[in-house]
Amino acid sequence: MSGFSLWWIDGKLLPGAFLREAAGRFFLLLLLGAYFAAMLLSGGMNRYLSERWAVTAVLRPSVTDVEGEGIAKKAAGLPGVRSAVYKDPEASWKEFLEAYPGLETLRTAGGTPLPGYVEIRMRPDRFAEADLRAMESVLAALPEVEKILSGGEILKGLLRVNLWVNALFRAGFGILAAVTFMLFFLQEKGRATALSGDFDFLRDRGIPSRRIALSRAAGAALAAGILSLAATAASVSVLFLLEARLPLLRRVIGSAGEILTLPFLVPLALFLLAAAAFSGGASLLGWRAAQSRRK
Amino acid sequence: MIEAFHVGAVSRDRTLWDGLDMAFDDGEVCVVTGPAGCGKSLLLRVLRGERRPDAGDVVAGGVSLYRGVPEEAGAFRAASGVVPESFPSVAGRSVRDLFLLSETAGERVPAKERKERREELLSLMGMPGALDWKLSSLSVTERARVALAAELFRGPKYLFADMLIANAGCEWTDMLGGLFRALAREGKTVVLAERIFPERWKARGGEEGTAKGPFRLFRIAVPRESAA
Repeated sequence: MSGFSLWWIDGKLLPGAFLREAAGRFFLLLLLGAYFAAMLLSGGMNRYLSERWAVTAVLRPSVTDVEGEGIAKKAAGLPGVRSAVYKDPEASWKEFLEAYPGLETLRTAGGTPLPGYVEIRMRPDRFAEADLRAMESVLAALPEVEKILSGGEILKGLLRVNLWVNALFRAGFGILAAVTFMLFFLQEKGRATALSGDFDFLRDRGIPSRRIALSRAAGAALAAGILSLAATAASVSVLFLLEARLPLLRRVIGSAGEILTLPFLVPLALFLLAAAAFSGGASLLGWRAAQSRRK
Repeated sequence: MIEAFHVGAVSRDRTLWDGLDMAFDDGEVCVVTGPAGCGKSLLLRVLRGERRPDAGDVVAGGVSLYRGVPEEAGAFRAASGVVPESFPSVAGRSVRDLFLLSETAGERVPAKERKERREELLSLMGMPGALDWKLSSLSVTERARVALAAELFRGPKYLFADMLIANAGCEWTDMLGGLFRALAREGKTVVLAERIFPERWKARGGEEGTAKGPFRLFRIAVPRESAA
């Protein structure tokens, strides 16, 4: 018996239907891949919030620039921190004047009335209450730090909303994945029913049902793996194109270039494997449903 | 060699036959005849290992089809071809698809040989260029011949055909007789189920055949080619 020819038996017997289904699957996987890549890059609302939200460690007036830089360096090394920038009292004063022009008279002959500070931004994937609190507790223990401004109750509320919004995004992805799986299953069931006579022919000639089912599933999994790879590549390319034209997208989702780094490539590879596995599963379930329908 | 030992079959609470012993040697063409409804198709299914007999067993190539390992029975079925009395004409399916299925079920035919072999077999069956014809457009006789061509495509060691001669039509009796004898000379076994024994064929051991339950078993004389 020929080995791989059974993998593609559906495509050989029903090439038209098979191609139409493949086109539909590509479109669904394109949507799913784009959603997944966007979720992966943005972390839901995390990226947007971590870009907008900064924690400020206000330093004591006696802290020198060297000490301030040292604290910023220390803060940057903390887990979950993306960046920590020291702003000296002069820079702090300039920012104040930009925000409240006409208050130059507040400056005395002794110098700026404002202390220096360290502006800390979290990594999008660590923009969570526990990580923020951990970072705050380390900085608050430093004698050079006068106080930490992180938003207090407002931040707590924001994090709660963030949690819900992220859960909604994930649920949306889950629903889209479930709909995709269901459509794959229906396609497989329909095709297995349409080809039942042909499978009987093969069974009559000594090919066990189990072998036919497993070979078809392997073919479906491989085809889905290739399709999802192409669809994901296409969706990432779209993200690259859009990011150049829509700066807002970059702020919300992040840089598409990041997708080519290891922390993103691993989940993407898992996504491709999952698409292949689910497609193989849909093929087996579709086969089973078609067989039980005949009994 | 295929041997049936004391096989019996019951259908719709009626014993069709019981205690039947039959043997089909390698390189032999046999015709089993019997009246309508006596269980000829069922006998072929039993001999192919498709339907467990209600009594007895079938041994093919030294392997029990019903008491042995299922994989071995599967291997026997894979090495055998079957031309059913009627096969469903699936909408949209063509003669090419039938060959594709046959090839999938059998040993892989090299790509270069595939086209040539298909054309050769279709020409032999009087249907050259029929590869893209829809199965639903074929007549009964054409279907019978194309089904035989598709089975021969993968070169089965055993060939079972149900009402093939009757379906193919009397014009094809001589040609098919010659073809089966040629297959037998290659060491293949051909078992046919027909209502009547084809008139112009010659059976060994007389025109009456051997009585086997409700059937008559005819063995066709296969003259060996003499060494020149």
